[in-house]
Amino acid sequence: MMTTAIDRQQKPKFARRSEADMRLKNNRLGMTIFQVSWIMVFLALIIVNWQLRFSYSEWPPAGVASFDPLLPSAATLALLLSLVMVRQGLQTLRRNHVAGFLMRWRGAIALGIAFMAIIVYEFASVSDAAMATQYGVTMRLMTGFHLVHALAILAIMVYVYRSGATGSYSRDEHDSWAVEGTAKLWTFVTLAWLMFYVVLYWIR
Amino acid sequence: MATIAVPLGAQGEQIEAEAVQRPALSEYLRWSVDHKIIGVQYGVSAFLFFMIGGAMAMLIRLELWTPELDVMVSGAAYNSLFTIHGTIMIFLFIIPMWAAFGNFVVPLQLGAKDMAFPWLNAFAFWLIPPAAVVVLLGYFVSPAEAGWTSYPPLSTLFSGDGQTLWALGAHLLGISSIMGSINFIVTIFNMRPPEMTIWRMPLLCWAVLATSIIAVMATPFLAGALTLLLLDRVAGTTFFDAAGGGDVLLWQNIFWFYSHPAVYIMVLPGMGVLSEVLSVHSRKPVFGYRMVGLSSMGIAFVGFTVWAHHMFTSLQPELRIPFMITTMIIAVPTGIKMFSWLGTIWGGKIRFTSAMLFALGFLSLFVIGGISGVMLAALPFDIHVHDTYFVVSHFHFVLFGGSVFAVYAALYHWFPKVTGRMMNERLGRIHFLFTYFGFLFTFFPMHVVGMLGMPRRVAVYVEAFQPWNQLISFSAFVLGFSSFIVIYNVIKSYYHGPVAGANPWRALTLEWQTTSPPPATNFADDPIPFENPYGYGTEAAAAYLDVVDEAFSGGNGSP
Repeated sequence: MMTTAIDRQQKPKFARRSEADMRLKNNRLGMTIFQVSWIMVFLALIIVNWQLRFSYSEWPPAGVASFDPLLPSAATLALLLSLVMVRQGLQTLRRNHVAGFLMRWRGAIALGIAFMAIIVYEFASVSDAAMATQYGVTMRLMTGFHLVHALAILAIMVYVYRSGATGSYSRDEHDSWAVEGTAKLWTFVTLAWLMFYVVLYWIR
Repeated sequence: MATIAVPLGAQGEQIEAEAVQRPALSEYLRWSVDHKIIGVQYGVSAFLFFMIGGAMAMLIRLELWTPELDVMVSGAAYNSLFTIHGTIMIFLFIIPMWAAFGNFVVPLQLGAKDMAFPWLNAFAFWLIPPAAVVVLLGYFVSPAEAGWTSYPPLSTLFSGDGQTLWALGAHLLGISSIMGSINFIVTIFNMRPPEMTIWRMPLLCWAVLATSIIAVMATPFLAGALTLLLLDRVAGTTFFDAAGGGDVLLWQNIFWFYSHPAVYIMVLPGMGVLSEVLSVHSRKPVFGYRMVGLSSMGIAFVGFTVWAHHMFTSLQPELRIPFMITTMIIAVPTGIKMFSWLGTIWGGKIRFTSAMLFALGFLSLFVIGGISGVMLAALPFDIHVHDTYFVVSHFHFVLFGGSVFAVYAALYHWFPKVTGRMMNERLGRIHFLFTYFGFLFTFFPMHVVGMLGMPRRVAVYVEAFQPWNQLISFSAFVLGFSSFIVIYNVIKSYYHGPVAGANPWRALTLEWQTTSPPPATNFADDPIPFENPYGYGTEAAAAYLDVVDEAFSGGNGSP
């Protein structure tokens, strides 16, 4: 026999999250989904690169010198170091050491700029012979597309750094979401670049 | 021993008195972060585009009344007409229309106060009007002529500047769709009440979740393809031009890798609506609830493996069979849904409300669209009917007989919740009859002319097809007329419809356990869902519904 006792005051069995916790949880999941989603554009460009390879009997096409991986490798190293410093900066902030956070982010931003400078140089120095084929064009498409993202997210990093310098963030997870989110975006830039780096310079 | 908790605070009566106020119409014209306002904004603007796209369909059918070119000035004008018809219907009508119902209903079904990111939600909507202006402007400047699929070289060498604007507009719509979908996924995963496990979630939420997963994974490919198209048109690259080392099939691959999953974006929420409507209006639990939820995910997953069936005639022969097999496999999760719907209404206490009629209409028409889909998946048959009216018939059966019928079912079902008024059932039935028979006699004969060999996308045809085309055109005009009945019904009911009360259908999902329209925070208190969202026919369910009725009796009035 089922009773139908009705209790308007009854509290749910489980505690509900506070609004601030909820927002943080939403931000984290939202950021993850955004990253998984947007990495697909980079994947699409890799597919473009691969499908266009089949238009040629060899890759790089005959008469075109292949790209020298030396400078891009240095740039990749700079980007990876920059990512390490960004993540360390976040951890330092979590230990409530704001000055340490700022110091690491200064380094990260400098390394990010170095990365972009090298890639801009690479973008500019594609030979005319390469540009006459899809070898050069897809390279410029991919690096250019990546540069736009790197620039936008580096700008966000600078903005977050400036806010940090005026004391906007504390060790509290809710207060430092902007730092965490930006670090995640920079991770995204790094991962996207690593994919491109392998495809452009190492897969013949 | 079951305790039934009512989703109401102690001050339920007081909230009731405030909530009877509907938002002023001017609020719908402004920026708002309330998901209920945004839902209506999506819905009304999508329906407006439906009418514009429908008017273009009428022009197409008028042109095809005779075998000669008479209404349009040239074949090119006809090309741009069906191009803009398809673009509007897909990018500006169906996809935003499901965002409308998703926005309004999903947070309510989850017992949430709003979406996870209200501002982002509003931003996603407000990208649509500028995108629509850009796309429609293109039609009047120098129209795109390459069909909504925009295959190069048609879209690179032959189309006007409208094609560039088309690509820009589609870019904006894609970004809007990604932002909206991120919002849906986060809302559905994070904002459920603690009592609602994922296996107690209403099936519309399952469907919207699957749709959103497709949208976030696939839409970026559209962004990639459109970027290449824009560069080819504007910057002089040759990604799609074999003379410059490019490949025309590149577009088809990337475009269909987005657009085939996108057809499930267009129909999956409709399938979710169907599970809700059939269950509520036949007073029976959904048959095979878990399988229906999982089949949505199955469709989403398999949907990514079938894109090249759109390219059967241009594909390398050895790749055709694998894509034929995956395409046939996708009929399995769809079949699971079909059986679930039939099992749900089987032996139910069916009430033939307008919502139910449209849901049954979906059932009968979608099964035809599905079967013609399996026919097209069979390679030899596909090559026979390639680019004929058989294909046109197939996708209209799925997208009109499927999606639009589900949109109407959803409209009749949730209109009382949105406005607090019931729709006129008599007009609803008349609307159903006109739509159903108008639709059936428009698109069913297309199967026949298609198999007889009438090609699609041409304004001029062999004289022998004229009687068929006149039947099709006449029925199309009836179908076009039917949409004015629903507009009249909506406007009339908005002002003069009987007051709906909180739960006119006696449904168990959470959106009905609050006033109609719901207050700004949706619920007076944190709502507690009933143990099974479709547990109709039990004593506990009846007791739960009685308590809800009593609590909201201030504005009660059953249909």
